[in-house]
Amino acid sequence: MLFFRSEERVKEWCEQRGHPLRPLVSISQLWGLASMWYADRLRVDSRRPGPAEMKEVFAGLGLSGEFWNPESDRFGESTGRNDG
Amino acid sequence: MEFDRRVKLVVYGHFAATGGAPTAAVVSAEVGSSEAEVRSAYQRLSDQRVLVTAADGTSITMAPPFSGVPTPHVVISEGVRYFANCAWDALGIPAALGQPAAVHSECAQGGDQLVLEVAPEGPPPSDWLFHCLVPAAHWWDDIGFT
Repeated sequence: MLFFRSEERVKEWCEQRGHPLRPLVSISQLWGLASMWYADRLRVDSRRPGPAEMKEVFAGLGLSGEFWNPESDRFGESTGRNDG
Repeated sequence: MEFDRRVKLVVYGHFAATGGAPTAAVVSAEVGSSEAEVRSAYQRLSDQRVLVTAADGTSITMAPPFSGVPTPHVVISEGVRYFANCAWDALGIPAALGQPAAVHSECAQGGDQLVLEVAPEGPPPSDWLFHCLVPAAHWWDDIGFT
């Protein structure tokens, strides 16, 4: 989970490592994810969102498709991890 | 309050106050139990994906969004320096603290420096991007890699 200056830099990074290009997320969307996940993390009743809640959060931020489905097995073990 | 929740609160409170992970001795003193009981709680909290410990079962390497070890993602808030586990967690720390923070990181391709002044309401408009290689269903297969 990394920051990039531009889409071109993401593509370069993926190409150089043989990784697939995944959906790009804006800083605004990332703040939505960060605040949904962590805004209550220091509170007594905090808990991680479950799969159904995750799907709702992602959809609410415009992040859809199998990549964002926490219960999907369509990607199998293919994480693009080939650089050790 | 149940024991594991007390341990979690002490761990997270320590990270928030100091920027670093507490030792098991500090946590055991805070919750009034043995270090062995604290280590057992760490294991259960790890199973719940609340903590990640090193192989010794005692050293906390992650209490998301906080990192117990140095990373390229640094967050500074009210004079305290924090390390985040990843780009997502770099914004997660200001969100968890609920106070202004400066996020310092870099472009993974080329090393351009990123500085985001994050208000409690969120960061300013930015054309930087976030990219995650691992699909959501596999994030915790190897959370260190993710």
